[in-house]
Amino acid sequence: MTDPLLQLKGVTIRRGTETVLSDFNLIVSSGECVILNGENGSGKSTVIEASARLLPMEKGEILHHGKLVYDFEGRKKKPSFPFGLTLQSNCLVPSQTIHQHLETVCKISQSNFDFLPLLEIYGLSHRKHDKIAHLSGGQQRKVSVISGLIPAMVTKDPRLIILDEPDSGLDDKSIDVLINHIDQLRDAGNAILMATHDNRLFKCATKLNNLKEEIVQKPAKSKPWQNHGKSSPNNFISIKMGWQYNFSTLANIQRNWLAALLLIGGLLSLVEPLSISEHKVLLVGFTLAPALTIGLVGDSVISMLFEQRAIDWWRSQVQVIPNSSIETFLSGCILTLFSMQIFLENIEWSLVLIGGFIALLTTMFVSFLQLSTIRLARSNAVYIRLLTPILILPWALIVDYGATLV
Amino acid sequence: MRIRTGELLLITGFSGIMITLVLALKWAPSVSIDAFSAPIAQRIFYWHVPSAIAAYIAFGILFVGSALWIFKRSALGWRLHVAGAEASLACGLMAVWSGCIWGAAEWGTPWDWTDVRLNTFGLLTLLALFLVLGRQSQPDGIESRDTFSTFGFYGFVLVPISYIATRIWQIRHPGPVVGGGADGSLSSKMGDVLLIGVISFTILIIGHIIMSARITEYEQRLERLQNKLDGEI
Repeated sequence: MTDPLLQLKGVTIRRGTETVLSDFNLIVSSGECVILNGENGSGKSTVIEASARLLPMEKGEILHHGKLVYDFEGRKKKPSFPFGLTLQSNCLVPSQTIHQHLETVCKISQSNFDFLPLLEIYGLSHRKHDKIAHLSGGQQRKVSVISGLIPAMVTKDPRLIILDEPDSGLDDKSIDVLINHIDQLRDAGNAILMATHDNRLFKCATKLNNLKEEIVQKPAKSKPWQNHGKSSPNNFISIKMGWQYNFSTLANIQRNWLAALLLIGGLLSLVEPLSISEHKVLLVGFTLAPALTIGLVGDSVISMLFEQRAIDWWRSQVQVIPNSSIETFLSGCILTLFSMQIFLENIEWSLVLIGGFIALLTTMFVSFLQLSTIRLARSNAVYIRLLTPILILPWALIVDYGATLV
Repeated sequence: MRIRTGELLLITGFSGIMITLVLALKWAPSVSIDAFSAPIAQRIFYWHVPSAIAAYIAFGILFVGSALWIFKRSALGWRLHVAGAEASLACGLMAVWSGCIWGAAEWGTPWDWTDVRLNTFGLLTLLALFLVLGRQSQPDGIESRDTFSTFGFYGFVLVPISYIATRIWQIRHPGPVVGGGADGSLSSKMGDVLLIGVISFTILIIGHIIMSARITEYEQRLERLQNKLDGEI
């Protein structure tokens, strides 16, 4: 019971203008539950988020299961095994149902697992097909906590669980259930790192750490967790989830398509295509403008994930976050085909493909800009889209080339 | 009241720019009607070119400041980044704005989206605008400094592209007037006015950078004092 599942080695992290952690070391081994109980602002959440590979470090490295997963030079490797994570924000996608969300967590954990008994115990079974947006704050928190526990519940092998104030917003009954689950998972050999101020949870801890000193204690023994799931490999989760998020909300249609269709409408209100039939470049420009517009609106799934910090949960779990690349490419092709019928009145398939690629590459560029400012305190207020005019020149050159095809 | 170096340079640079303006309008020789569609508008050149050169210098300072912050975590680097971004924005806007006016008169259009020089320079100015507005929208901290410095550092790649654009891929924007071979040669009087303009703009941005760096240093001191007060409370 001594294998370290989480190691923070010489971690120094600055947040804002302060150095929050300086040369900080922590080891959480199999069968241990370390509770961070320092006062407000002491750096508990910083330790939690750093352990989940979410915060850049000035110095140090993070290891999961003895292997480097993140270091101060920005090297970020996928952990060898899935780990449970509940952050202070719930990190849920409001358009998903509880069932869909937990199923996703199971897929990331590469397992089939019957989580209905869990929902029963937490008093959520009657709402399993409800969208997360329709739940109360406390119910959403329960879903978030269950998500953090599932990766350890599905397998006999030891897993790492990271929980940031899981008790906040939970009623007394749910906290009792949570304590029971933590005891069971700890005694099954999992490693648990938790930040909390709730004294009731302290009895689960093998170590109480206030980020200055650590107190070792011996919690009461409990029956180890046994209701494991079955291993079930799942590939291409990010693509599948992007498709699912889009399909369940039609976000791609309502955001990207609407903007492109409005553009076509606006152009038609100004120009009668037949009257400029000899201006090939202009007509090809009008044909490819909707594809550019789709891309400039941005990736609908990534925008969706910014709600409740779901994007941070995904960033910690996978290397490629869910996105709508396939839908964007298809949308670009379809809308180019549509605008081609209006402006060119014939079909040139190579131009349709060009439209698809314009939409895809533009979306990828806009997503890159969005994600590059994710560390900022107010990432939505940062004017990053001021840089999108860089796309106009390549688009104009492609239009020029497209005119030679028709 | 004691006048500091920054203010002195700002006043000197500003005066020089005003003199350049007067010389450009009253003293510089007219250009041939065969060479330009709008010879009178050509006088904007004495404002446009010095402001563009000053903008390149400011982008260079932005690059150095960003690199110092990223690699050395230097407080001076961050101050240079802030000052460089502001100076880049001011000079970039002056160059773009004057270019648009000149372009409208000379080419019949203020902007050409297919011209590499115009686009890269316009984008550099937008980058400076993003850095200035973005910084103001965020609390100061390591996250914002890292993010904006990264953009300032990598954004500099546009400077050489913008500079060589008219040499290797000339579409609408004329070639270089300095170091551009026989085509770019100027008459003696024109060269004098241009030189005064370049020196004045350079002095102005150096003055601005000294002042801005000082203001940022005051802001940092204030922040430290406030944090100290927070700790005591």
